[in-house]
Amino acid sequence: MAKKKEFSSDLAKQEQRLAYWLLAPTFLIMLAIAIYPLLSVFYSSFTNATFASSKPTEFVGLQNYQQLLSMTIVSVPPVLDEATGKAKIDADTGEIEYQSAVRVLPREPMRYKPVTQFNLFGTQYVLGATDPDFIRSIWDTIVFAVSTVFLELVLGMLVALIVNANFKGRGFMRALILVPWVIPTAVSSQIWAYMLQPNRTGFFNTVLWYLGLGSGEIAFLSNPALQLPSMIMIDVWKTTPFMALLLLAGLQLIPGDIYEAADVDGAGPIRSFFQLTLPLLVGTITVALVFRTLDALRVFDLFQIVLGQARYSMASFTYYQLIQNRAMGYSSASSVVIFVVLSVFAIVYMRSLGVKSND
Amino acid sequence: MTSATKHRVNRILLWIVIVIMAIWMIFPFYWAVNSSFKTEAQLAMTPATFVPRSPLTNEVAFTWRNYEAVFSNEAFLRAIVNSTIVAITVTLVALIIGSFAGFALGKLRYRGKTGTLYIILSMTMFPAIAVLSGLYAVITTLGISAIPSLIITYLLFSLPFTAWVLTAFFKELPTEIFQSAQVDGASPFQTFYMIMLPLTAPALVTTGLLTFVGAWNEYLFALTFTSVQPDARTLPVVIANFPSQFSKQIPFGEIMAAGIISSIPLFLLVFIFQRRIVAGLTAGAVKG
Repeated sequence: MAKKKEFSSDLAKQEQRLAYWLLAPTFLIMLAIAIYPLLSVFYSSFTNATFASSKPTEFVGLQNYQQLLSMTIVSVPPVLDEATGKAKIDADTGEIEYQSAVRVLPREPMRYKPVTQFNLFGTQYVLGATDPDFIRSIWDTIVFAVSTVFLELVLGMLVALIVNANFKGRGFMRALILVPWVIPTAVSSQIWAYMLQPNRTGFFNTVLWYLGLGSGEIAFLSNPALQLPSMIMIDVWKTTPFMALLLLAGLQLIPGDIYEAADVDGAGPIRSFFQLTLPLLVGTITVALVFRTLDALRVFDLFQIVLGQARYSMASFTYYQLIQNRAMGYSSASSVVIFVVLSVFAIVYMRSLGVKSND
Repeated sequence: MTSATKHRVNRILLWIVIVIMAIWMIFPFYWAVNSSFKTEAQLAMTPATFVPRSPLTNEVAFTWRNYEAVFSNEAFLRAIVNSTIVAITVTLVALIIGSFAGFALGKLRYRGKTGTLYIILSMTMFPAIAVLSGLYAVITTLGISAIPSLIITYLLFSLPFTAWVLTAFFKELPTEIFQSAQVDGASPFQTFYMIMLPLTAPALVTTGLLTFVGAWNEYLFALTFTSVQPDARTLPVVIANFPSQFSKQIPFGEIMAAGIISSIPLFLLVFIFQRRIVAGLTAGAVKG
């Protein structure tokens, strides 16, 4: 008896030792390419490190973060008419003329540049930032992430329901929806950039022109109002299939006989979708949403290839700071900001997934 | 309406939605194929034509010129070789090391298991952009050349992914096999590579495919780490920054041809291994 116990605890020890040996390579590699670089990014975000520069690297405290994130809101006074002393009205538009935003924004100790203007209760305000490009990239990335994830959920659900239905060629359809997902983003970005050309050599301008909509010269990628919608459209095409597959996996876990029961009860397809399918899919949807949001918040390929430096995502801003400006410290600081934003979402994800070590 | 006609109406509606969906998924790729067979003059035609047509006679006219151009483009040919080397090496390394970790996480008992599972899961979501400047500094300091640095850095996303998905598959294998092999006197490691590993062969194919696709398509690291070494560029980098042979304008015809060529291996994988890929994609995100 005693011998057997010894034997089994020996086995357990042996098993534990083996586990550590098997895990060691993975953890050592992650230490070298994830943890160490991450710590060095944290460190250099507090310095003015620059690549290929003879200037010695100095510790600058929070200066990079201050430069990245400082914002202020100032009211913009209207231009006064010298004759009447009242606000001047633009003769063409009939709107009040305001002073230049740059003039009202503070210049000391740091220079603020305008990001956007808005009107609240009749007063004009300007949002100023010391790095308007970064603030705009945060805003744009969040708008991009929220819109794409929402649209992908709705369309992905539709696609999932269809490829879950019974029809001839369903297997082929399931392979077909993998096409947008599998095409390299570099390739699909170029294809869409070409389809969105600002004249009738582009597909969209041609079609809209045939339909009598638009001049045939819509600048989808250089008109600031159309840039984000174009990015969202491309990403929705590319990523809806992935969303659909996640939802399909959830759909397939729902036993078919509950629908038969609903059918007998006389519930129509729309009612049984909202009252049966959707509640049973809540878990899958939550996971898919957070998973996709994390992905969308770090979008890089699409923005860098299609818009370059015309408009940034948080990631493409960071890339250009590093490679174009060689501003290692500054780029590291924006990396840290992204990391913090993503970590918050990731924690939500882990919570919603509920990791179990033993079943 | 009788139930038979109602059924038929539903069928027709379903097929209409299926067709719309298929067109939406495929059309951009069709447009790329269409454009890749056009000469520069045809590409400049307004309105754009849905099949390549001659600008003079308006008759259907295809050209292979873009394909000839990309196949004589050295940067593109080198990129095919680079992408193949990088993607295959990363896949093999990630599978070997990841299956070790997956076996330990999925089947072995040891102290600190929950912690290690959490670490691996959080690593699958690790944002590459967060360590970009740190990795760049390490690589330039150590003087690692571009291809090996791509192989090493791609493990950042491929290794946690393979480990995580394989953990889920190992967990599903019956523990009895493992125990009876141990009773028969096999060491745990022997049990792993002689009995368990062969049983997970399908899972290895699935994970390998997805890792290959991920590495083949990766852009951020490829762009950054080949910036001073253009001959190490992979396909996505070359296609996104296409060097023109003839004109100063953006050579869209050639870009489309190059894009199609670099997508074809992936299409083949998708149509051959459709089931496996779907299983792997969902296992990565859904299984806990």
